[in-house]
Amino acid sequence: MSESDVIDYEIENNEAKMGIISTKNLSKIYNPDTIPVHALRNVNLDFEVGEFTTVKGPSGSGKTTLLNMIGGLDKPTEGSVEIDGIQITGMKESKLIDFRLQNIGFVFQSYNLIPVFTAYENVSFIMLLQKRPKKEMEMRAKELLEAVGLKDKYHSRPKELSGGEQQRVAVARALASQPKFILADEPTANLDTKSAMNLLDMMEKMNREENVTFIFSSHDQRVIDRAKRVITMVDGAIESDETR
Amino acid sequence: MYLKLAWRNIWRNKRRTLITVSSIMFAVVCALFIESLERGGHNQMINNMTNFHTGHIQIQDERYEEEPSLDNSIEYDSSFSERILEIDDRIYNVVPRIESFMLAAGEEQSRPAMVLGIDPEAENRLNELKNRIVAGRFFEPGDGSVVMGEGLASRLNVAVGDSLVLLGQGRFGMTASGIYEISGLFRHPLREFNNQIVYLSIPDAQWLFSMEGMITNILITPDQLKYNDPIAENLERALSDENLNILTWNEMIPELIDAIEFDRMSTRVFMGILYVVIGFGIFGTILMMTLERLREFGILLSVGMYRWKLAVIVFIETFFISILGIISGFALGLVVLSYFYFNPIQLTGDMLEMLEEMGFEPTLPMAIAPDIFMWQGSVIFVMSIIICLYPTVKIATMDILEASRS
Repeated sequence: MSESDVIDYEIENNEAKMGIISTKNLSKIYNPDTIPVHALRNVNLDFEVGEFTTVKGPSGSGKTTLLNMIGGLDKPTEGSVEIDGIQITGMKESKLIDFRLQNIGFVFQSYNLIPVFTAYENVSFIMLLQKRPKKEMEMRAKELLEAVGLKDKYHSRPKELSGGEQQRVAVARALASQPKFILADEPTANLDTKSAMNLLDMMEKMNREENVTFIFSSHDQRVIDRAKRVITMVDGAIESDETR
Repeated sequence: MYLKLAWRNIWRNKRRTLITVSSIMFAVVCALFIESLERGGHNQMINNMTNFHTGHIQIQDERYEEEPSLDNSIEYDSSFSERILEIDDRIYNVVPRIESFMLAAGEEQSRPAMVLGIDPEAENRLNELKNRIVAGRFFEPGDGSVVMGEGLASRLNVAVGDSLVLLGQGRFGMTASGIYEISGLFRHPLREFNNQIVYLSIPDAQWLFSMEGMITNILITPDQLKYNDPIAENLERALSDENLNILTWNEMIPELIDAIEFDRMSTRVFMGILYVVIGFGIFGTILMMTLERLREFGILLSVGMYRWKLAVIVFIETFFISILGIISGFALGLVVLSYFYFNPIQLTGDMLEMLEEMGFEPTLPMAIAPDIFMWQGSVIFVMSIIICLYPTVKIATMDILEASRS
């Protein structure tokens, strides 16, 4: 092995190990001047491509706050978040919106689909915001809806879909922008067991077959059981970080 | 897709949208009705004054405005009318008149009267006087008879066929007196005209006032009102060497203009209050719409929508609602206004008495003009757009996270 080959190998190896998301000394204090609430305390975490990770913990442990920080929806009191080497903490809002649109997919607890749009339009809409060509939008929206098992529900509006189906559309929407990772905040909280299992099967399959990175916040055991990595938070701090 | 989103959003809550559209529609109809009624009333006042009193443009001796006396008359024959018609082809009618005040007497009573020497054909083209005859007939030029207001006849206790004595002062202090047969009575809706006017032909008036070949003024009617001032300017230029004064109706009756202005001001105040009430109605709906959708706005911003794009969508929604309200308001307004235009409201009872006392016609005519629609539509539209600033500011300043949790 020549010297240059060794250097190449080291770079590749480092890249492979480098997290796409990195939090450094992340802290968040709400109401610092009145009754301070420490939502996050010095959180240092790295997430890599292809992870299927759950952040668990009791209510108020800081799971959602952590996801909000990673998604750039909230600003830390101290510390920073880096995504793909770009520090998003302190980024101007317009740039951050653009960054989120191009890099992060969101799945929310209560689906949050646009009620007046069909499943197909909800998925396409994100790509419209990205200014993708119309044909590509149409093709990808159909592919995604097919992938989440909603081929026959293209033209159904959210109110015509079950909770599980709506959450599948939300996942398809999150995937539509081809993000680097998907943040899913309590995605199964409002679903019955069957719907929750179907949704998890689908996300697990996407993670396995397409290497889509998922980061969940959840205290749902069904989600925790499926995760390859489980981060436990208590009172805003990392209590354990276990890779299975 | 943004348009589609905005259009569908407004139909998310059909009942609320229909209530908002209806409130805008009724606001537009109300505003149109008030404006049309005001304009119609003013037009009627102006028409009465111009058609029966001043004309749209008047040619007088240059001293007549200061001293409206028969002494300040102008020379006139039919060739002068032809000459005026040649000055501007937008002139529709030339109406010569002799105007003076006299004492009119029947067998038992006497009353002051406004005596007008007229050319029946020209006068009829101006104000359709012949159609207002309610008893007898209109006189023929020089036949020695007069037509008088029904109200004056009643006060003098005279009727068609009776004699009327006119007594007063002629030109240069000459005594003016004559006895005339009453050939007809006319009825004018304005009590002022009804109770004091006596018409006779110009030759008879010239004889009565000792002013052969003279008249006091010439009334000019334009083809269209918008030509009024240009015609006046042309006449001014063409007749500049003849010691004549050219006046437009608004110069002759400034008190009417002031009254109209005052009336407009009070209507504006009323309309302002109406707009505020309507504005709060629309604002209430927009406020509800905004607060109800804060979470949705937060989510859209979270997933990567720019604030300004979201504001544009909400703006388009308000635009759609406003336009729907305004167009339906125009449609309903046109029907309502047309009905009352062809069937003016006739006042009765105390209102009738009061208006007649004040010298107004007891009818409420409507005016239909495109600018009424444009103006009222624009005001309501601008108001809706101003109201739309609320959601726009809310979107611009909202905390994404708080909104997403709301």
